[in-house]
Amino acid sequence: MAARSWSRYSDRTFYLFVSPWVAGFLLLTAVPLGYAFAMSLTNFDGSSPRWRWIGMANYVELFGDADAWAAMLRTLAFAAIVVPASVAGALGLAVLLNRRLKALGLWRTIFFLPSVVPVVAMAIMWKLVFNRDSGLLNAVLAVAGLESITWLVDPMAFYALVVVSLWGLGGGMVITLAALQGVPPELEEAAVVDGANRWRVFQHVTVPMISPVLFFQVVTGVIASFQIIVQPLLLAETNSISGVGQVPRGTHLYMVQVYEEFFQSNRFGYGSAMLWVFFLVILAITLLVQRSSRLWVYYEVDNDGRS
Amino acid sequence: MADRRKPSAGAIYVLLLALAVLFAGPFVWLVLAALKSRAEWAAIPTRILPAQAQWDNFTAALTDINFVAYTANSLFLSTIYAVLVTATSALVGFGFARLRGRGHRALFVVVLSTMMLPQILTLLPTYVLFARIGLVNTYWPWVLWGLAASPYLVFLFRQFFAAIPRELEDAAIIDGCGWVRMFARIFLPLSWPALITSFLLSFTWTWGDYIAPALLLDVDHTTLSVAITSWYRDPRGNAIPTVQAAGAALYMVPVLLIFLFAQRYFIRSVVTSGIKG
Repeated sequence: MAARSWSRYSDRTFYLFVSPWVAGFLLLTAVPLGYAFAMSLTNFDGSSPRWRWIGMANYVELFGDADAWAAMLRTLAFAAIVVPASVAGALGLAVLLNRRLKALGLWRTIFFLPSVVPVVAMAIMWKLVFNRDSGLLNAVLAVAGLESITWLVDPMAFYALVVVSLWGLGGGMVITLAALQGVPPELEEAAVVDGANRWRVFQHVTVPMISPVLFFQVVTGVIASFQIIVQPLLLAETNSISGVGQVPRGTHLYMVQVYEEFFQSNRFGYGSAMLWVFFLVILAITLLVQRSSRLWVYYEVDNDGRS
Repeated sequence: MADRRKPSAGAIYVLLLALAVLFAGPFVWLVLAALKSRAEWAAIPTRILPAQAQWDNFTAALTDINFVAYTANSLFLSTIYAVLVTATSALVGFGFARLRGRGHRALFVVVLSTMMLPQILTLLPTYVLFARIGLVNTYWPWVLWGLAASPYLVFLFRQFFAAIPRELEDAAIIDGCGWVRMFARIFLPLSWPALITSFLLSFTWTWGDYIAPALLLDVDHTTLSVAITSWYRDPRGNAIPTVQAAGAALYMVPVLLIFLFAQRYFIRSVVTSGIKG
């Protein structure tokens, strides 16, 4: 329809605008990933110049590495617990707050703030709460007449980490609350008129209407729990960067294992192979989650301007 | 009809209060720890309240480590990164929202998929590369990361710019305005809510980051986040929990204040990027 001689867009302008990201992607994402792949084919130890190519040996070894398998399964289990629990918890809190309440802003802020506490402060704070002799939790247990628990070592460390992660679900609550407020009341009223009870309205009207937001939280939650590394390192007994050795089995997640291979065993090649395997696993799981969205995520209109 | 009866208001407030205690408990415990003497902290049975507030812990937190210098490092790094990444992400977001070029759809898919890529994956090899070219113990890595734009913020700006009516763009084109000027003179001034959000988010990312400064910076160059985790020690090398609690409180107050005051912007931005995620 537009005259052929005039074009609104030129390739050059577009590339000019997006060039920072393209350059950044190539230099700071693609190159490091490629470099890691190259390292994974060597026995490089991080400093010695006398490394050599060893082909797929690192991957073969990784396949038979029981510790790596355990760390991978532990990470998957952690995500399988934390992601549904925090999405559900966020939804529950949002439903609770989605009504006329006194001091609504105050309640929302109390639940929301933990989610923006920097990870370092979070770790310091929870170490104080979980402290065996002086911690808040054991003080509460003592009042109830129960025995003290050593929270930050096995077998409790895993659950302690779950608790710390769930504490931050307020970010999801805020998003869900906004989504709930965007559900047209006519829809819910219509369902009530048709004889649906409150639970069925929630289940068949409200949840489908906000499912894109729940889906968003599932995707970001999965990614976030896969990259957890700082919390286990800092919650462990020796809280210095060299303290990886003390991370208890229970919080020995996959990235902690990778970190250990790099900086404790100086096995940069092997660690890189672990990174690449993780990259592929994450890719597969993300695709799987995206696929599943067709089954349960409802998009009202796609007026995104995707022309 | 029984199930349409609403739960009583009182029950809801009791439930909210119980939950609020759970969420606020760790904050309260941190502040109490920061106000206890070391003996009180270690006392058995556990003492809830200090006999007398030990404000000295805060003085010690500021002087036991070079708190001011580490704060300056953190501020400097966070500001540099936030300014650069906001500028580049706005530029790129505009490109994806309003411009068309060969392969723009494929490129945007790449942006979205890098959002899904855990940054920790690239950080370790990036660290090895940076060490090889001598960027360890410099602030150049943060400059480079800033110049590279962040996929998350690109998406945020893209959503923001895409919502601006096309008529504005048409009018500017008719007036003979080029894209660069249109971006700088018309779109950017309209986008200050997104700019503020982007600046605050990226500022707090760097302020709260631990692993990158721990890997890349030494004792003199590192940030407050690394300093407060490791260096509150007595002469025998034991951690001093009360002083560390005071340090942690001082460290996180700016971030909490930022989010308290900017909650509205922050929520709106997360909601717009979340719904179409």
